[in-house]
Amino acid sequence: MKIKNYFLLLIPFLFNFSLFAQEVTGTVSDQNGTIPGANIIVSGSKAGTVTDINGAYKINANNGDTLKFSYLGYITQMIPVTGQSTINVILIEDAELIDEYVVVGYGTRKKSHNTGAISQVEGKDLAAIQANRADEALAGKLAGVLIQNQDGEPGADPKIQVRAASSISGNSNPLIVVDGFPISGSLATVNPNDIESMEVLKDAASAAIYGSRGANGVILVTTKTGTAGKPTVSYNTFVSTSKRYNKENINMTAGEWASTIEANIADGTFDVSEMDRTLLDYRINAYANAPDVVAVEDWMFNNGTTMNHDVAIGGSTKNVNYRASLGYLNTEGIVLDQGFEKYNARLNLNANLSEKLSAGFTINGFMSDREMLGHDMRDLLRSYSIHPIYHTDASIAYVQQLDQQAQALGYTAFDAGFRGGTDAPWNSSIYTLEPGMSAQDWHYGRSGNGIGGSGDAGPATKLDNTERWQKTLYGNFNSYLQYELTESLTLRTALGGDMRDTKDFFWRGLEFDSRARSTQTALNQTDLKRSSVLSETTLGYSKVFNDKHDVAGIVGAEFQNFFINGTALAGTNVPYGLPANFGLLEPADISVSERRETIVRRSIFGRINYAFDDRYLASVSLRRDGDSRFGKNNRFKTFPAVSVGWNIHNEAFFNSEKLTAFKVRFSRGTLGTTAFLGAYNSLSLLSPQATIFGTGFTIPSDISNPDLTWQTNTETNYGINLGFLQNRFTFGIDYYTSDIDDMLINQSVSEVFGTTAVKLNSADVRSSGIELELTGVIISNSDFTWRVGANYSTVNTEITGLGNLDELPAVQYGQSGRGPVFRNYIGGQIGEMWGIETTGEVEMKYMSDPTEYIGKQSGYSYAVDQNGDGVIDRTKTVAEGGDLVKIGQNTPDFYWGLFTQVAYKRFDLSMQFQGASGGEVYNIDPLYYGSQWGRSLTSGFDADSDGIADHNDKHYVRNRDQTDALIQSASYFALRNITLGYTVSPNFIKKAGFSSARVYVASTNLLYIMGGDYTSYNPEGVEITNSGYAGPTTYGVQVGASPIVRSFTFGVNANF
Amino acid sequence: MKINYKILAVLLVVSAMSCKKLDQEPLNLLSSSALTEYDGVLNAAYYYQLGAVTPMAVMGDFRADNAYMEEAPFDDFDKFTPGLTSQENQFFGPFYTALYKSILSANNVIDNSTNANQVAEAKFLRGLSYFKLVQVFGDVTVNLLSEPDISDLTALERQAASTVYNTVIIPDLTDAMNGLSATIKNGRASKYAAQGILGKVYMHMGNFSMAQTHLAAVVSGAGGAGISLQANFADIFGESNDLNSEIIFATQVSSSIVDEYGFSEFWSWSGGLDTKSLTPLDPSKGPTIIAAFNANVGDLRTAVSVDTVTFGSPKFPQTGGPDHDWIELRLADVILLLAEALNETTNASGANSVSILTSLDAIRTRANLSSLSGTAISQADVREAIANERRLELAFEGHRWFDLVRTGKVDAAMGTTVNSNYHLFPIPVSEILASFNTITQNPGY
Repeated sequence: MKIKNYFLLLIPFLFNFSLFAQEVTGTVSDQNGTIPGANIIVSGSKAGTVTDINGAYKINANNGDTLKFSYLGYITQMIPVTGQSTINVILIEDAELIDEYVVVGYGTRKKSHNTGAISQVEGKDLAAIQANRADEALAGKLAGVLIQNQDGEPGADPKIQVRAASSISGNSNPLIVVDGFPISGSLATVNPNDIESMEVLKDAASAAIYGSRGANGVILVTTKTGTAGKPTVSYNTFVSTSKRYNKENINMTAGEWASTIEANIADGTFDVSEMDRTLLDYRINAYANAPDVVAVEDWMFNNGTTMNHDVAIGGSTKNVNYRASLGYLNTEGIVLDQGFEKYNARLNLNANLSEKLSAGFTINGFMSDREMLGHDMRDLLRSYSIHPIYHTDASIAYVQQLDQQAQALGYTAFDAGFRGGTDAPWNSSIYTLEPGMSAQDWHYGRSGNGIGGSGDAGPATKLDNTERWQKTLYGNFNSYLQYELTESLTLRTALGGDMRDTKDFFWRGLEFDSRARSTQTALNQTDLKRSSVLSETTLGYSKVFNDKHDVAGIVGAEFQNFFINGTALAGTNVPYGLPANFGLLEPADISVSERRETIVRRSIFGRINYAFDDRYLASVSLRRDGDSRFGKNNRFKTFPAVSVGWNIHNEAFFNSEKLTAFKVRFSRGTLGTTAFLGAYNSLSLLSPQATIFGTGFTIPSDISNPDLTWQTNTETNYGINLGFLQNRFTFGIDYYTSDIDDMLINQSVSEVFGTTAVKLNSADVRSSGIELELTGVIISNSDFTWRVGANYSTVNTEITGLGNLDELPAVQYGQSGRGPVFRNYIGGQIGEMWGIETTGEVEMKYMSDPTEYIGKQSGYSYAVDQNGDGVIDRTKTVAEGGDLVKIGQNTPDFYWGLFTQVAYKRFDLSMQFQGASGGEVYNIDPLYYGSQWGRSLTSGFDADSDGIADHNDKHYVRNRDQTDALIQSASYFALRNITLGYTVSPNFIKKAGFSSARVYVASTNLLYIMGGDYTSYNPEGVEITNSGYAGPTTYGVQVGASPIVRSFTFGVNANF
Repeated sequence: MKINYKILAVLLVVSAMSCKKLDQEPLNLLSSSALTEYDGVLNAAYYYQLGAVTPMAVMGDFRADNAYMEEAPFDDFDKFTPGLTSQENQFFGPFYTALYKSILSANNVIDNSTNANQVAEAKFLRGLSYFKLVQVFGDVTVNLLSEPDISDLTALERQAASTVYNTVIIPDLTDAMNGLSATIKNGRASKYAAQGILGKVYMHMGNFSMAQTHLAAVVSGAGGAGISLQANFADIFGESNDLNSEIIFATQVSSSIVDEYGFSEFWSWSGGLDTKSLTPLDPSKGPTIIAAFNANVGDLRTAVSVDTVTFGSPKFPQTGGPDHDWIELRLADVILLLAEALNETTNASGANSVSILTSLDAIRTRANLSSLSGTAISQADVREAIANERRLELAFEGHRWFDLVRTGKVDAAMGTTVNSNYHLFPIPVSEILASFNTITQNPGY
């Protein structure tokens, strides 16, 4: 090709000897318009120019010269001057640059040369659907990447897990690398509209170059750079309205309960023959006729709204490419008091300082304000829907009337339910209520009064007297300097830092507590500053020899220091009626704890990629990491990786019209990880604690362990990629096995040792999985295209070793002890839930008072005495002589995603489906919603109290006592997103000054199907904030998860 | 240029691999091995006692015939079934954890401190902790090391209660008694606190002569140490009366000091302030102490101890309640125990009934009651009279259940035959799981 060009060049020399200078003018443009800042050089000379703001240029050239038109991201064009005075050039985007490369650690690699398991999502697929955050847009897009709404609150990070969990005690969040810089923030800090593409490095060999930090997989985010030429402005905006997905309330209102009681008495479901009839009548009447009732769920769950604005400006001049963007999002959650507001800003600047030297920097700022529910949702929803939220004249009259009736029947006066003490400075009697005061549970009595619920202050009082928020300020700066030593050798040094400043606030006032205990008040504030600096210097080499040997190598050294500095103030005895201010508390009531931690990491690494003739591919990497978190004796470790591939379709013998790509890949790599270790877990440190006699030193939470070391993960990946019909259809399959040795675990120990768990390197876990990815362009013509993408993933984990143990100590975890027994043993999965097998609920007719609490569940089930020894033993498995059996496990057997996009003329329609199947949650909610877990059995049910029902000789247990009665399916099928867009005709909008515009409507979770036996609002929800939570070994308990949100959005994308 | 970058690369690699930087230690925290003074560790041993307070109060009175729980599943305290394990998270678990932490802290002081007084205080706390554990669980794990080997499961095996008494509790309390001054300083452990608890330990073991020796020493030495009965019964209680002259030892409670336990305060249970039991003394709903007080017409303790209208106990008044100390040992308790010991050792014939009952006069008079002297003649009747007095005097102070078990009166008091398995409380299930069943559950649970 080149030689041909030279001949062309020679032609004018040969045939036109009239060598005289002439002025050439023209414009440089691309398909969208003119390009300012394009380079024009007279080939072989120093003479050159750039196009002006209108894309126009002027240059002196001799006849016979060749002009070289170049612009970043476009294919360079060479045009000989043969006497023309005007040369207009249309540059074509370098499709190869955009499409045919994948970003890998510390560089890019041709897709056809890739040998690892890497999944890619392009910006246009992210843009096709509307999403509030990048990880939301990623959900369901990639095989081997599970993204779930574990929390569901606005602003909460979802759970992201790449392949199998790499830790059984800590989280397995992947490393997020934005433009080469590993950030300590979540993906929330990246504005989805700034993203050019995302790659997920899934296998160890691909991630190995990131060493230990890559052990959970790596998400590489490449942000957009400026568009060619004159600046373009793009503006995106949308508004959404949202609601909880479940329309129906879980809890009955008092009125509904009264009807249920009557119906159930009538049909014999309830046996009230032993009940006092006057009490029953009083109760039914009280429930049936309560005025102005607001269902607590209707009050808690509302319409939410989201508003978003994004504006970006980008462009380039001769040597500088720039893009700046600003984003704003404000969400009001569907749950009362929940909200999220954030600002994003980003500036990318890349400059060619000379022919060989280039530099660039990125600044990313993120600020958010997250409003959270001040109190446990489960507890708020537990309140009886017998009252208005704030009293009305009718409800005040009603409680007084009820109280009179109750007293006439001989019950305690409702006012006795006021526990605030004689000096409580607020209303203490139902006879001094005024409209607008919050309706408290005790205003309606308690079960001792014949009706009533918790006797607490009630949901409105609880929420009005709490406040919880989190403010985050995140900044990331990174810069690089790159020098081309020779054509094939590049030295690059990058320096960056990031800082994440989080402030958590919580206040609970005296009135919150129905007993006005000042010890229940709280004023807590945590300021935590996490920062890191990273310096990374690499020497890269890249050369193609003889057109066949493509060699690329890189060596580098990396220094990273993390600093964690923070102060936590915890105040108690918060004075009533004064603003929440630490200055107003007694000094003794404020306890201060601080964190001052430094983590140091030092690494060197190298990698060689080799491709022969686009056929035989290989990559070898080696990395050595040292980390200060480990014990003195074991800080450094070396992690190798190798991968090979074979492009069979490029072989001469392979000749298929239909099968146009056929690659097989193999990789094996080792990674280390620090897992969940904090800065000083290898040390035994004393933490100060205020005591009555002065400062005390409590028992260190860690036992000194100088041998604490890297957990290593060796992963083997087999992959095949197929392309059909010019790669119109592609199919990828990966199978991997992963062996984790010396896994860091938090092993529970007896409290006799003064701590609940110790950190050890002792588990070995083997995982495997299959991942399928399918893409296809089903229809493609100028008016109509239809693309689909689908993926399917399985994950299996098995514990293969536990040091000298066969099983980790089982842990019984869950809110207030209402959890399953979590077992982790050799041959089992991680975090198996074990419990007692039940065979149906004890019937309501065996309740001594089936009407006592709102909710039609007895709260007891018949249990299976597995070994027939007459005792239900929850401390041992059946094999050990007890009655525990496996009742569930949270990790899905498989999960999948399906993406489809149809474009017809100016319309586009995208749908993203996602599902997971085979996992379970231990859902504690029904204990509250059904029976308030407080019902009593009739005395004749088990007269001798031997735990066996007299009427059928079956054992019975409380549902809450580690039984499968609370196990529910965590499977779901969701239409995560559907977006219908319309691109406005250019003719129409040109007049308005736009270059392009698209309007769209979208809906998230338009369809969401939950498992058949699931009874709460969000099967993806898992509780991980309780103090007993010990990571994946205890994963799967659900308590009052924030509901699945269905939203409808209208949005506009416009470019100027 | 080429040479330059090679040098640069070498420099980078060398500095990257230097180990020095990886030695990071926190600048704001002490390493446990750096301790030279053990007062802070001793303070922690005191601090951990806080976690045992509320469980002790609930087990002592709600399990017995003094008070009852209204709401399921808390009413498991009033049932003698395996279901009581449901209360582990709120009561037995924190109780167990807190005491073993206190023990571990005490071990650290005993092993390492050179200050004899600190060691004696630590021994007191260790002896007291094991005493509480044995009363509640029976056989328990014994750890006397400050850095136990976590891999040694055999060390977790439960030791017979009698072994724990003889090899740990008695030697520790004896050392504490001999090492501590009689003067109570600032509410810390003192000679008579150790000796009084030691006397009580012997009572629980049924060794009445040893009990008598030690309890008598406390009663006779009390005056010299500034320990005396309060003239007015009501003045023993209330936050403003914390550390009054009658208190020999109390676990000091401050609302400013957040204890790890955090579930509820001890006084709110008997006070009927917890929604789980708003009328814990209502005699129409279960056996409660109301009847016993009603039988004692004119008893000034009645109004202090029970509210016969709201059926809660006002003994630990809520005003300032969160700061109310938990009384572990007061002089009246010792006087009652001494009378009991004397009745067992010297009164088989009933010959000393008068003098024994007369020894309670100070307590009786303070309650506006006449002397018991002459009301009981036989040893058995005297025993009964003292037990009744003890119940009224020490209501809601966490004694009743343990006294009933100690004296074999559970069935009589509860009015039903209680399987003796349920004289003890269940070991936390988490302990059984964490020790791979090396720590076993008590029979019946």
